[in-house]
Amino acid sequence: MLSKLFSREPDTRVFFATDIHGSETCWRKFLNSGKHYEANIMILGGDMTGKALVPIVEEGPGRWHATLLENRREFESEDEVEEFEDSVKRRGYYPFRTDPDEMGELESDEEMRNELFYKEMLGTIERWMRMADEKLEGTDIECFVSPGNDDQFEVDEIIANAKRVRLAEGKVVEFGDFQMVSTGWSNRTPWDTYREEDEEDLAVRLKKMTDQVTAPPERTIYNFHCPPYGSGLDDAPELTEDLRPKHGGRSIVPVGSTAVRDAIKEGQPALALHGHIHEAKGNTRIGRTLCINPGSSYEQGQLLGAVVNLDGGKKVKRFVLTSG
Amino acid sequence: MASNTTAGSGAGDLFQRKATGLLRGWSVLDGFIYAAFAINLMTLGLWIFSFAPFIPEGSLIYAIILSGLYLVFQAVTYASLIAVMPRAGGDYVWMSRVLGGGIGFVLAVTGWWFILWHWVPIYANILNVEVLVPLATILRFDGVANFFGAPGGMFTASMAVAILASILISLGMRTYARIQKFCFYGGVIGLVIMFSLLLFNSNADFVGAFNSHAQELYGAGGNAYQQTLDAGSIETNLGALAFGPTLLLIPMIVFFNLWSNWGATLYGEVRGASDFRKNIYAMGGALIVTSAVAVIMLLLFAKTFGWDFYYAASNAYWSGNGPISAWPYPGLFAAFLFDSAILQFILLALLALWFFGWVGSVFLSSTRVVFATAFDRVLPEWVSKTSRNGVPYYALALMLIPSIPISYLYAFGENFATYTLDATLVIATTFLGSAIAAAVLPWRKPEIYNASPIARYNVLGIPLVTVAASLFSLFLVFCLFKWLTDDTYGINNGQSLIYMAILYGVAVAVYVIFRLLRRAQGMDLNMVYDEIPEE
Repeated sequence: MLSKLFSREPDTRVFFATDIHGSETCWRKFLNSGKHYEANIMILGGDMTGKALVPIVEEGPGRWHATLLENRREFESEDEVEEFEDSVKRRGYYPFRTDPDEMGELESDEEMRNELFYKEMLGTIERWMRMADEKLEGTDIECFVSPGNDDQFEVDEIIANAKRVRLAEGKVVEFGDFQMVSTGWSNRTPWDTYREEDEEDLAVRLKKMTDQVTAPPERTIYNFHCPPYGSGLDDAPELTEDLRPKHGGRSIVPVGSTAVRDAIKEGQPALALHGHIHEAKGNTRIGRTLCINPGSSYEQGQLLGAVVNLDGGKKVKRFVLTSG
Repeated sequence: MASNTTAGSGAGDLFQRKATGLLRGWSVLDGFIYAAFAINLMTLGLWIFSFAPFIPEGSLIYAIILSGLYLVFQAVTYASLIAVMPRAGGDYVWMSRVLGGGIGFVLAVTGWWFILWHWVPIYANILNVEVLVPLATILRFDGVANFFGAPGGMFTASMAVAILASILISLGMRTYARIQKFCFYGGVIGLVIMFSLLLFNSNADFVGAFNSHAQELYGAGGNAYQQTLDAGSIETNLGALAFGPTLLLIPMIVFFNLWSNWGATLYGEVRGASDFRKNIYAMGGALIVTSAVAVIMLLLFAKTFGWDFYYAASNAYWSGNGPISAWPYPGLFAAFLFDSAILQFILLALLALWFFGWVGSVFLSSTRVVFATAFDRVLPEWVSKTSRNGVPYYALALMLIPSIPISYLYAFGENFATYTLDATLVIATTFLGSAIAAAVLPWRKPEIYNASPIARYNVLGIPLVTVAASLFSLFLVFCLFKWLTDDTYGINNGQSLIYMAILYGVAVAVYVIFRLLRRAQGMDLNMVYDEIPEE
């Protein structure tokens, strides 16, 4: 009886993080997380790409200005600009240098802004994959990444081309005796993002994936970006029609997916990994399945995550949520 | 599609694309409402003001103004913590990440969990004296009024508080937020009616009304107004600023105005400097507006009740020698200015909304702390379980069940009520922990601090958060020193301090046991707080 309280040697230790949204700091920390937590499997859930471009406008030779977090900054040296660029990247935004003329064009031309966004987002992911290849070279750590609903489809191809990072989206991947299915698709959001669809369609997508799993439930992992509906891992501020939080952000409503919930109920995997709702950090059980959403504090450069020991038992019992 | 982007508000601003979670600003008014409920003038305020005669030389009005203005530093401190670590989960997470897991756990669970069991009978006391007894008195349900004035009624009211708070939380935040808003607006209407009655009636009107109702409702014959003055006679100080005694009143009235940060864990995302200011406006604004309303209300009491009478009524009640045995509820006194019992009832019912919109707070934040500690695996996984409807039933049970024997002992025990005298002290100690965490934040977590919207706010080269938190800490240290050394507050009771030390001891024991257990299970809790190196 007492022995149940204590550790069985895990077959596998997994570190999972999600929703880093372009944060250079979080990506760097993620690449070090395997070694730091002694995990042999690293999994990054969806939403890798950032949400904003921050222009650094050249006012004249050697003089620049920019605004971050509503604080206007002025720079008079290359070092100052570079330091600012680092702080922007840390927050998950994309800095770019420009001049007043180009700024005027960008403000009026949505197409031009979109092109710039694509260039910065995809360029960053390419650079990140090169970093991962270098960092993980010579280690026995396996790294899986699956994009999320906020990531455009071109991200998949870039990840697929990486040497030490495996694209997990839409398929069954294996590590040891475990099998994992992943998707970044979610139910509908108010933001009309890249990978979202109606619940019925999402249910079909999940069914196609989970049907491919051949491992028993206690050796199966669902890595679904969207959390299950009504699990507490999907609690988000209730919004007005113009996307303002109601009641000062205090009114909380479930926004997760019923299709994800049904898939977990039916498949009863050992572990279900989620993200999507940054403020809904937590863990819960659906039947035997341990469901985790580690949340996200990417803006602060904190990598929230989960360390999970998998031993193939009926229930996953050894885990901890981290804030690295 | 998501490729749609929006230009910033002006040249040099940022460009955003459509992505999950990008929200527009939240309403300061909403934040203000919830902070105003926490610094609840009509419940906590009126209750603690009735203790002011114990420091008769002090000016209650100046004490409210001085402490209200000073506690803006508290609002700045907490707004800063929210800005640096938003959506973090409040005092527990701030302290555990900045000062260490053990300190965070012990201070948070004592201040936000264990001690709130003891606040249940305090809430119940207020429910009795401001809601149940006055309403029963107006309705001439003498038996009911007498029952709630006795130990059995005290215990019953405590259970009502615990169950009501549990129900409100079980309804979910969406419903609770709506109920609070309804109660706020209803309560404000009640307050306006009360103020109007006090403004448009003279002292003579009140003396007549009081004497008449004292006879009719309490059987106090003769000139009950004068008898109250005689029974509670005390030299009062309405306007003169006797600085020393006025300063002594401050550790007393923080029972009312120390809570503007109560909902700090729930405020919205801080996306920039303007959201940081919004949090200050919501918490600090509620503090200043509530203080201003308190001053206006006390001046109206002085005008219509008579300041000497207001103090004498409280003094006579605590001495137990007044002509009326009930707690001198100013809402009821104002209602006496109505002739109609129906109007009296309506006014008291409207004022009671200040209690019903506030009662959930006794458990709400506690359940969040319990969850946060369970997510860190300091407490077992099961405490964070919720029902299908999202009801945190285990966390609620951890609040509700211990509050039952504590309420019983409080109501029926001979000395137990004195053990709970340190209820404010323990929470203030928790706030002190958060204030210290905030003060050292720029050095303990420089990367997170420097990435936050408040990194550029300095006072004479010192980070604003450090300045505000240090000044707030100084305030708390002053209060703690006075509570522990001055007999006036009735807190430096040896038994009470031992009892509180036991609560801290239990918290330390729980932390150590679970830390050792997790280590034995192969999960070192250091992993929770350790920062992963970037390079």
